[in-house]
Amino acid sequence: MTTVTDTDTAAPARTYRTRRRLPIARAVVIVVVALFAVWTLWPLYWMLSTSLKTSREATSLTPTVWPHSLDGSHYTGLFTGSLPFTNYFVNSIFTSLVSALVAVLISTLAGYSFSRGGYRLNGALSLAVLATQMLPLVVLIAPLYLLLLKAHLLNTYLGLVIGYTSFGIPFGAWMMKGFFDGVPREIEEAARVDGYSRFGILFRVVIPLSVPGLVTTGVFVFMNTWNNLLYPLTLINSDQKQTLPPGLLQSFSGTFKTDWGGMMAASIVTSLPLVIAFFLVQRSMVRGLTAGALAGT
Amino acid sequence: MASITLQEVEKRFGETAALRPTDLEIRDHEFLVLVGPSGSGKTTLLRLIAGLETLTGGEIYFGDQRVTDVDVGDRDIAMVFQNYGLYPHMSVFGNMAFGLRRRRMDRAAITDKVQEAARLLRIEHLLERKPRQLSGGQRQRVALGRAIVRDPAVFLLDEPLSNLDAHLRVQMRAEILKVHRAVTATAVYVTHDQVEAMTMGDRIAVMSDGVIQQVGTPDDLYDHPVNRFVAGFIGTPSMGFVECAREPGEPDLLTGTGVRLRLPAERVAALPAKAERVSVGVRPERLTPTGRGDAESASCTIEGVVEVVEPLGSEQHVLVAVGEQTVTAKGPREEHFEIGEKVVFALDPGHLHIFDAESGEALT
Repeated sequence: MTTVTDTDTAAPARTYRTRRRLPIARAVVIVVVALFAVWTLWPLYWMLSTSLKTSREATSLTPTVWPHSLDGSHYTGLFTGSLPFTNYFVNSIFTSLVSALVAVLISTLAGYSFSRGGYRLNGALSLAVLATQMLPLVVLIAPLYLLLLKAHLLNTYLGLVIGYTSFGIPFGAWMMKGFFDGVPREIEEAARVDGYSRFGILFRVVIPLSVPGLVTTGVFVFMNTWNNLLYPLTLINSDQKQTLPPGLLQSFSGTFKTDWGGMMAASIVTSLPLVIAFFLVQRSMVRGLTAGALAGT
Repeated sequence: MASITLQEVEKRFGETAALRPTDLEIRDHEFLVLVGPSGSGKTTLLRLIAGLETLTGGEIYFGDQRVTDVDVGDRDIAMVFQNYGLYPHMSVFGNMAFGLRRRRMDRAAITDKVQEAARLLRIEHLLERKPRQLSGGQRQRVALGRAIVRDPAVFLLDEPLSNLDAHLRVQMRAEILKVHRAVTATAVYVTHDQVEAMTMGDRIAVMSDGVIQQVGTPDDLYDHPVNRFVAGFIGTPSMGFVECAREPGEPDLLTGTGVRLRLPAERVAALPAKAERVSVGVRPERLTPTGRGDAESASCTIEGVVEVVEPLGSEQHVLVAVGEQTVTAKGPREEHFEIGEKVVFALDPGHLHIFDAESGEALT
């Protein structure tokens, strides 16, 4: 009896030590992460700081980390000066939103078709669409220019949206395919038994289950089009229809002088929609990008 | 309500025959179980009846109506899937009402039907929940509810209990039978579990390699299997088989390693004259220990060495090596067996199942 009791009381002493990270290792991790944060955030800070400096301070040969005095004139100048910044901004918002919506719509249909297959050329067709992603935009711009020229769509919103969606859809279709692959076929078959058509099943069952995918695809296309410089620079030739990236480049950067304060203020304003969009949908996006990684997700 | 008739129904996936040409008649209101091992073609057959797969050949009729080319949504069927197939973004109510909405029923009628089905399945308190908030058993009930609210003519169930634990499975077997009695639809139930098949089916179709081996009542299949496959598949523990040869000059005597079976005249008469090598099957409950000494007086005996004893509480299973083969004996647990012990079992020749050693077909 005594032996048993001894063994029982001794047992708790043999508890396994939980793995605790050493203080030094923890400090190293914190320092590395902090350095990485500074590395990433410094350009953003510099952009914000420069936009709030006076033009003289912004171009001073002895750069200052903190602005001597906060100057908002670069921001007010964007909307009140001779620069058609509001035009650029509205054009960017309009073309990016329309492109994202069109790309999501077509990508959804294409991705569903690639995912569910059932026709002879499915594999070849989906790979061909993927292959277009291997071509750099610069290679595509000349043929696209000629096509739009013949269709009289140069210097139009429609032409620009066609250009944007031409690179957004292949990416979106493959992303949506990944999502639809994760929707169990039994659910669709249950809806077929319930009497729904292919489109009924797509819109009432499959798409509601793929909202993170739609959001992810939409945001990616929106970001890519919002930041796109090459297409509007080539396909648009009037200030009235120009978008932000080429507009800013042409307005603030001259042969003899660059307005750094104005350019930075414009860059901050230009970044805001993306930052807001990202924060609004980041949860969906993370779910979207990791969907299907684990069984049962 | 409808009977189901399959005429020469066939399904191939490329070069692979998932279902060879098959005829089957399922009676109105009947509960037919398709049972067989994985890859036997039972789910393919069910999906062909549902219309979820297209036929390579043959015809399907519901009653007098030819439904071979009728779309799945127009066949008046309901189906319960192995993984439930519930719509994750809808509530339990939404899941059950989804099919009724498609039929443009008015809202009050939909609510009544869903409530009625929920009452039958005791899930009224779950109607507002999403599928992810339910246990496996509750999800299965919702899947059943979704099927029965539509008053289908044909009720198809594809291994609906395979994701449940053993205890819940027994409970749900009774639930499904209760639901079937309530809806009185013709039901086709797929399972690989022969216990489910035996306990639930009015009739059972045993499948293997894309072919229906035998269709019959549970007792038919158990007592009169048409071949060795059916004999071995139906029954727990499985039927044991020993290989035997007919003794030259003694047509009523079958012998093999450890086996000596003297058949009565009527069974000898039923054996084909040229059947020299046969496979003899014995149900575990028919193997009776001879009491160590009575072996000489018994007309049929099997002698072997005890390999494993499996006590199950109320009874025990004893695995006995007979030459190269193993047979299982089932008996009361009071009987004591030692591993390695030599045992002799006496058999009633009327309970022997004799099969052709080559083809496996039943000979008597």
